[in-house]
Amino acid sequence: MADTPDLPNVPQATVVPGKRARISVIWIIPILAAVVAIGIAVQRVMNEGPTITIVFRAAEGMEAGKTFVKYKDVNIGQVTAVKLSPDHARVEVTAKMAKSAADLMVEDAKFWVVEPRVTLSGVSGLGTLLSGNYIGFEVGKSDKKERKFTGLETPPIITGGQPGRQFVLHAENLGSLGIGSPIYYRRLQAGQVVAYDLAPDGKGIDLKIFINGPYDRFVQAGTRFWNASGVDVSVGAGGVDVRMQSLVSLIAGGLAFETPSFATGPEPAAADTAFTLYSDQATAMKQPEAISTRFVLYFDESLRGLSAGAPVTLLGLTAGEVTRVGLDIDPATSKVRGRVDVVAYPERLVTRLSGEQRATGESLARSAQQRHALFQQLVERRGLRAQLRSGSLITGQLYVAFDYFPDAAKAKIDWNQDVPTLPVVPSTLPDIEAKLTSIIGKLDGLPYEAIGADLTTALGSLNGTLRDAGTTLNHVDSNVTPELRSTLEDLRRVLGTADGLLKDGVNTTLTGVNATLEDLRRPLATADLVLKNTDATLLGQNSAIQQDLRDALQEITQAARALRVLMDYLDRHPDALLRGKTEVKP
Amino acid sequence: MTTIPLSAARAGLVSCETCELLSRPADAAEPGYCPRCGAGLEWRHPGSLQYTWALVIAAAICYIPANVLPVLTTTALGSSDSDTIMGGVVLLYTTGSWPLALVVLVASVMVPLGKLIALTYLLVSVQRGSIRDSRDRTRLYRMVDFIGRWSMLDVFVDTFTVALVQLQPLMSVEPGPGVLFFAAVVVLTMIAAESFDPRLIWDSAPGEPLRRHAT
Repeated sequence: MADTPDLPNVPQATVVPGKRARISVIWIIPILAAVVAIGIAVQRVMNEGPTITIVFRAAEGMEAGKTFVKYKDVNIGQVTAVKLSPDHARVEVTAKMAKSAADLMVEDAKFWVVEPRVTLSGVSGLGTLLSGNYIGFEVGKSDKKERKFTGLETPPIITGGQPGRQFVLHAENLGSLGIGSPIYYRRLQAGQVVAYDLAPDGKGIDLKIFINGPYDRFVQAGTRFWNASGVDVSVGAGGVDVRMQSLVSLIAGGLAFETPSFATGPEPAAADTAFTLYSDQATAMKQPEAISTRFVLYFDESLRGLSAGAPVTLLGLTAGEVTRVGLDIDPATSKVRGRVDVVAYPERLVTRLSGEQRATGESLARSAQQRHALFQQLVERRGLRAQLRSGSLITGQLYVAFDYFPDAAKAKIDWNQDVPTLPVVPSTLPDIEAKLTSIIGKLDGLPYEAIGADLTTALGSLNGTLRDAGTTLNHVDSNVTPELRSTLEDLRRVLGTADGLLKDGVNTTLTGVNATLEDLRRPLATADLVLKNTDATLLGQNSAIQQDLRDALQEITQAARALRVLMDYLDRHPDALLRGKTEVKP
Repeated sequence: MTTIPLSAARAGLVSCETCELLSRPADAAEPGYCPRCGAGLEWRHPGSLQYTWALVIAAAICYIPANVLPVLTTTALGSSDSDTIMGGVVLLYTTGSWPLALVVLVASVMVPLGKLIALTYLLVSVQRGSIRDSRDRTRLYRMVDFIGRWSMLDVFVDTFTVALVQLQPLMSVEPGPGVLFFAAVVVLTMIAAESFDPRLIWDSAPGEPLRRHAT
């Protein structure tokens, strides 16, 4: 080892391979670092979702890096930048979406800002009070990818995936309804108003409603929707009936729906079916009148208080309604008269018939021939007539009543007319008026002045009579009173005599009584003596009985004393009962 | 070449790294063991350049995710917030505490980066056999070696914050993956600086016999 020959030109062979060629293990570290770093980078790139831009009117509570895009409360993206649009009118929000949400970014996806919202129908987005606003997301149905969206100003109420169906309602006006107004089915909230818009022709409002999950199958083709806002108060013979869907609907407005029994079908209505929104339940649930008979009535009396829609009753039951109130000139007499068009719905009356008769009624209602024959008969034989009647004396509303007037003049129905004319009878209401008028007229005709004059003279004579009575009394006072006094004095004298007479009589009677009493005293004294003797013999001081009694009592006293001694002894020596009396020790 | 200073290598001697005993090597290739303390004798750290290169490259690779990935995730009242190192610096600066921003910038961004650049420069200059500014390069190496331990500042702050701020429902701080890479950068550069043999800087000086040995 030590003796190396000093030959500079001859290299010494090495035993081990040169260190240069060897690659150190240390290179594992950079390779590992590179692998990890590349791995992370690859993962990042792989997870890189699309970057989208959403345009909002204002960036309310949105902050780059802090605001998330959430779908079903899951973060699917994060806002990376918030900046003004090039024209400074709107806000462009750039958000980086998660890769998993990449295929959700389709054309009709919806974005809106979720912020705490307090509405009449509830409080939503309370979580944002702590976490700040976030961007809500709703999937679209389109397949077309999109990277630029326009945010909604108001959050859509229905979020995807919620079972249920959407329908369209045609309403006259919006009333107190709004987005989120509840829809009730049997007073259970079953859905809500999602959107509303003016109908394209400007005539009415188209409401989009959403009926939730299991309830949507109760919406059928025949289902009726009505406005359930507010309180429905009706006063009937049965009292006051107040109907209200819920307190919320009272304030926020609401709708209700139900399928009337006559329109129930097994098939639920298809989504987006259009319905009419009725103003109230009664209107909504009214049965459509399939069969109707029209009549025209000519009245010669005032039609004030009669309006289209007024009921037509048969024996007090609603059988139809007034469709038109107008005027008519009788071609024969050129007389202007009132013309009232009514329509009768025989079906309504058929439903009032009892079970067995209903079938007959239905066939009757269906066949115009039979119906006409029946009507004919009723009018001609029974005297069925139309008459105007007052529904309310206060408001003066009139209605048309079909009723029997057997005494009415004979009439016929001409069915060949386009609209047959039903004979009428004059209203009884004007009669009442006329009678009242005649009564008032008679009252008016009364000779009030003559009566007044008569009354005055009668009173005058009465006055005279009263004065006469006064003088008569005076007369009595001056003439009759002295006489009366002397009469009384006489009377007193007579009484004094009577007194003397009575005194004498009574005295003699009393002496008689005295003597009698004296006689009674004698036998009593004798009785007294007898009793005294008896006393002496039986109860005297030294009587035998008395002596015996005293002795007996003394005996008893001694016995009692002995008994007491015995009791005392027993008390002290109870054993004496068993052992006998022991010697008393001195 | 006025006077060539005598170095151990030039004198054909090897200095023990442990007990500093100057001894005659057993063999030029295999210097053997120190006769006093028994430690292995080496002309220079074996594979010093290779080791340092490897570690510097590893550190450089780690430096990228350390700055890209978040180091701290703060969850306050339901909203979470992730911050990278540079993000933190910018946040501190924009909120007005620029001295703090400067400290973080220097300790967490510039120091690791400076170390990487310095080590690379040293390695390249040694490999190219540069003889210029050897003294300055040695000073640079000393600085790198000294400063190494201080750049763990960021990691310390991170761990402290994570440990202290755990008010679960209200606020919590979670370490991000970036801090792991940052620590790796610091540790790797420290080891790299350690494995670099500063004597190599001077081996390129004229007349030094170890020019070929060191790689």
